[in-house]
Amino acid sequence: MIYITLNGEKFFLKKEVSIENFLTLNNIIKNNIVIEINKVIITKNLWGKKIIKNNDIIEIITAVGGG
Amino acid sequence: MCLNLNNKSYKSRLIIGSGKYKNIEETKSALTASGAEIITVAVKRVNIGQNQKEKNLLDYIDPSKYKILPNTAGCYSADDAVRVSLLARELVHDNLIKLEVLKDKETLLPNEKETLIAAKELVKLGFAVMVYTTVNIKLAKDLEKIGCIAVMPLGSPIGTGKGIINSSNLKKIIHNSNVPIIVDAGIGTASDATIAMELGCDGVLLNSAIAMAENPIIMAEAMRYAVISGRKAFEAKRMKISDIAIPSSNKKNAIS
Repeated sequence: MIYITLNGEKFFLKKEVSIENFLTLNNIIKNNIVIEINKVIITKNLWGKKIIKNNDIIEIITAVGGG
Repeated sequence: MCLNLNNKSYKSRLIIGSGKYKNIEETKSALTASGAEIITVAVKRVNIGQNQKEKNLLDYIDPSKYKILPNTAGCYSADDAVRVSLLARELVHDNLIKLEVLKDKETLLPNEKETLIAAKELVKLGFAVMVYTTVNIKLAKDLEKIGCIAVMPLGSPIGTGKGIINSSNLKKIIHNSNVPIIVDAGIGTASDATIAMELGCDGVLLNSAIAMAENPIIMAEAMRYAVISGRKAFEAKRMKISDIAIPSSNKKNAIS
């Protein structure tokens, strides 16, 4: 089992997966988001290669209303 | 006549926020009615488990018509503001950022020290920084000197709608500045925006004044004209104030 922190919440995965697969498996819309793992931004072209590991801290960010 | 920011020219001197609207459709209608060409957005976590059909704010704003201005709202330290700015740059593929580092959750006033540290770092990283600040004359100049492209002093605290509470300092900041000065926060109604522009501000940034009005779309339109009106009055250079009454009608050939 892989334990991660996703947007501040504890989350677990059955096995290591790429970011791309992680987003698909969790029904997360892939447009207009930015991914940060352990405070490093992972650009979209690396989503297929970058594997989510145990204890990773993942932030998935988008734009919302604000002044 | 135009507002020049980051090598781009804008016809409207009004910048609006996208927060607190009932829904994205209302945000879009207000944006259209306001005539603004720049709209601020916040950079926040995605709602995990979202509905796949749920529209994202960025899907509603045509990037060929509007400039998206991400902010660092919710940051209380320079480190956090830099981190959010980097995420924002990746999200909208642009180096323009509204830097906002706050002191505390009660007053929502800018943290001057952290704002200055963050601004320096962001300029170094190649950002075009529009910085939210207090009405502090020296700090405004320091932020300009380190390379911010616009300095944005508050009218009054965020969300209060109290208008321009320190017009004398604001005037001094405008007078001393070589970069656009944009009043950000505190505008409550159209006359507040007009006053800011009459003082010589280059623009006005507001959110709650439109979003929290009973009719946001009509208020958006009011703000559009308020900013135009204030700017024109500033350019026209107002009449001198007199302590004595002076008749407007010609005194010659009076009947009595």
